[in-house]
Amino acid sequence: MDDSLSEFVKKNKDGFDDKEPSARVWKEIENRLPLAKHVSIWNSVAVWRAAALAFLCLSLYTFFTRPSGRPNMNAYQSADFTDLETFYSGQIQEKVEFINSFETGNEKDQLGQDFQKLDAMYQVLSEEMKIRPSEKVKDAMVLNLLIRIDLLNQQIKKLEDKRKPRNMAS
Amino acid sequence: MFNVCYRIVKDEPAAEDVLQDAFINAFRNLKNYRGDSAFGAWLKRIVVNKAITHIGRRRLERIPEEEGFDIQEETQDESASFPFTVDRVKEAILSLPDGYRTVLSLYLLEGYDHEEIGQVLEISESTSKSQFSRAKKKLIEILKEQKYG
Repeated sequence: MDDSLSEFVKKNKDGFDDKEPSARVWKEIENRLPLAKHVSIWNSVAVWRAAALAFLCLSLYTFFTRPSGRPNMNAYQSADFTDLETFYSGQIQEKVEFINSFETGNEKDQLGQDFQKLDAMYQVLSEEMKIRPSEKVKDAMVLNLLIRIDLLNQQIKKLEDKRKPRNMAS
Repeated sequence: MFNVCYRIVKDEPAAEDVLQDAFINAFRNLKNYRGDSAFGAWLKRIVVNKAITHIGRRRLERIPEEEGFDIQEETQDESASFPFTVDRVKEAILSLPDGYRTVLSLYLLEGYDHEEIGQVLEISESTSKSQFSRAKKKLIEILKEQKYG
């Protein structure tokens, strides 16, 4: 009978394992594992997404606003250069207007042609400054403006020289 | 797992509490699971240990050394087959003293060998063997009493 008991139990194992615990057990286990809930906050995909988004925003903000690095140096140079350009352009404009008030046909045409060439060069340099800003280009542009001023000064000197003898003569 | 627990503890609400404790304990000690045995076996061991600790308070009456009655030699006519139903055997197992019931359940139903039972109950392997033998005899006695009584 000893062996038949073992065999009987083996054969009817399922019959011996028929009890189920109540739902209270699983609920209680869940309640008593606060650790799992705590961990789930940091395992949450939403939290990591939000963190990633915040990091991206911060990176973009820093990239576009931080006043250092090459792009910002260029911006600084440009601002500096714009002031210079405005100053020289103002001077050129004044001198051009002054010369125009003493209209002398041929000389005015000559000056006009020189200015057209200088303008064309200046435009090329301007484009270059936008694409590959550098000290060299900037210097070339300043030089371009100075040449104009020099040409204008020469023109003004000629005009003054012309006027002096007349005034002296009169 | 609940059945393992219930067979040792013998009380459903108590078995539920033990199961709860065992599962929570297992969860908190997951890092100690070394993977040298099946996870189910590891978990079952925790459940068994908890259940035994629970009935530990009654350990004194766990293994009665001497029975107050004689166990009759088995009669030949019943050796060919096992003439009891599952429900009656379950009932008889539950009526066994704690120590007998535990050893018999672990050996017959949980598939533990006597070495493992010895470790779990902190007894020697030979004690486990003799306890199992006595438990079996006692069980059959109870079954016969039910049948003829």
